Amino acid sequence: MTRPCTRQEMMAIATGREIRDGELAIFGVGLSMLAGFFAQAHHAPGVRAMTEGGVYGATPVGGLPWGIECNRISANATSFTSAIDALGCLVASGRCDVGVIGAAQVDKYGNVNTTGVWDQGGVIGTRYRPPKTRLNGAGGANDIASGAKRFIIMVAHEPKRFAERVSYISSPGYLEGGDARTRHGLRGGGPSAIVTTLGILRPDPETREFQLDGWYSFSSIADIRANTGWDLKIAPGAQEIPEPSVAELAALRRVDETGALRKN
Amino acid sequence: MPPGKLISLAEAVGRTSWDGMQYASGAALPVGSDAIVFGRELLRQGRKDLHAIFHCNSQQLNLLAAAGAVSRAECGFSGLEVFGFANGLRRAVESGRLALEDYSNLSMALRLLGGALGWPFVPATVNIASDIQARSAFAPDDYPSRSKIPTVTDPFSGREIGALPPLVPDLAAIHVSLADPLGNAIMLGTEWSRFELSRAAKRVVLIADAIVDTACMRQYPNLVRIPDLVVEAVVWWPFAAWPQSSPGLYDVDEEHMKLMNLALATEDGTAAYLRDYVESYSDIDTYLDLIGRDKVASLSQGPTSFLLDPYRQWILPAEALS
Repeated sequence: MTRPCTRQEMMAIATGREIRDGELAIFGVGLSMLAGFFAQAHHAPGVRAMTEGGVYGATPVGGLPWGIECNRISANATSFTSAIDALGCLVASGRCDVGVIGAAQVDKYGNVNTTGVWDQGGVIGTRYRPPKTRLNGAGGANDIASGAKRFIIMVAHEPKRFAERVSYISSPGYLEGGDARTRHGLRGGGPSAIVTTLGILRPDPETREFQLDGWYSFSSIADIRANTGWDLKIAPGAQEIPEPSVAELAALRRVDETGALRKN
Repeated sequence: MPPGKLISLAEAVGRTSWDGMQYASGAALPVGSDAIVFGRELLRQGRKDLHAIFHCNSQQLNLLAAAGAVSRAECGFSGLEVFGFANGLRRAVESGRLALEDYSNLSMALRLLGGALGWPFVPATVNIASDIQARSAFAPDDYPSRSKIPTVTDPFSGREIGALPPLVPDLAAIHVSLADPLGNAIMLGTEWSRFELSRAAKRVVLIADAIVDTACMRQYPNLVRIPDLVVEAVVWWPFAAWPQSSPGLYDVDEEHMKLMNLALATEDGTAAYLRDYVESYSDIDTYLDLIGRDKVASLSQGPTSFLLDPYRQWILPAEALS
């Protein structure tokens, strides 16, 4: 089937649609930043965007920033502060409305692993041992996942990334499900959606298990289930997600000036 | 040379570092404002067995880890942002040569704040209920860990929270955009956790891209977030964060960021990198030659160079510093 845009672009637009005008929002580097600034360029001009580096009031210039503090996001900022200010005062405090984070691996309760890939079936065991493949660690995502009112997980939809149980919880989703977050004392509300290259998953309101909520014009229920490492349930009312409008795609491509999302 | 705390890079490293020390640096983010030139000099002087405290990984930690100079490290983010995984660090971690203790970006900053304030611990509502709390690379048999981020009871609400261990590094090498000879510093761009680090460390050395007259600090005292009274020494070294960026002064060197990370992915590549980019220069002039004078000029004309405009009139020329 022909696609109106790349899968990465569809994922960025679907993520951006989750962000509402006026919200206090925190974006990471890379795809999540493009999704956030797409929302600002298209339907949420009043979004109050920040990076965890404490860069406020900025929009990227010259293409996708190399990092959340680099010159491409420092060229038109109105305030530079610090990590404690951005991640602490504005996020861990419970003030931030929405965050967007990435994942190397995610499980059915929305727990995220960005720390490593372990052999022996991905089970670390009771003694900690180094991962077979070391990844990027938690960064600020743990702080966003712990403190933001809600957060969105953006991830490429592949079987190895969608596990019954992550090897290592770098950033907490709903932990063991149900009311586990509250019992453990986490302040934020947890993940509201997992937006992927194939569709959108949302948590069951009681069990907090993620279920399929929507698929794209170029994907299907069967396709998504085949690429999910647990027995994915279909939410009542699950449906096809609207294709990007002309205005949406134009806004995204203005933000993604160097075409980072069009490479595959 | 003007009076004050200006010393050479080699003297700063020789005077303030030793094998096995707790060394803090890289206190901005992975692709900017990293005192990596201090790390290069640590390698030139053969320092080893370092316990690295890096709020985030940077090319400096990537290099030190690849070269086998670090045996323990603590950090939040351990990658290189858009430049991908930090190949030197990951190789050291995967081989078991380097024990990497994971925290988050907020908890590292809070731990530095706790060290700065002399607190016994820092209460945490982040990192709890995750494997950052449950797993310890420094105490691998302690599972779920009771020593890394122990649980304590909030005396007001009765709820259980995490207790983060404060950080008091032996030395912090901090990159700043501008310093005066006395050790007052202005950071352009986010300060990330350099304010907290400058108060947490037992000793502080500033690595400044440019040296300004103290009159500059008197014009903008609100912006002097690191004052001279916590600073032991100042090193002037242009392009000190290269190939990473320094807002207002120079942009990321994309080509070298990739070349470097690719080299650090193997033992042979690392040896070649050390030969070509660590051992190969003898002073600031030959260092800038190594980067390439054309590249120095083009990277200096980035989209943020206007940020430096208010301060340019006070920048001391090289002749005044020699």
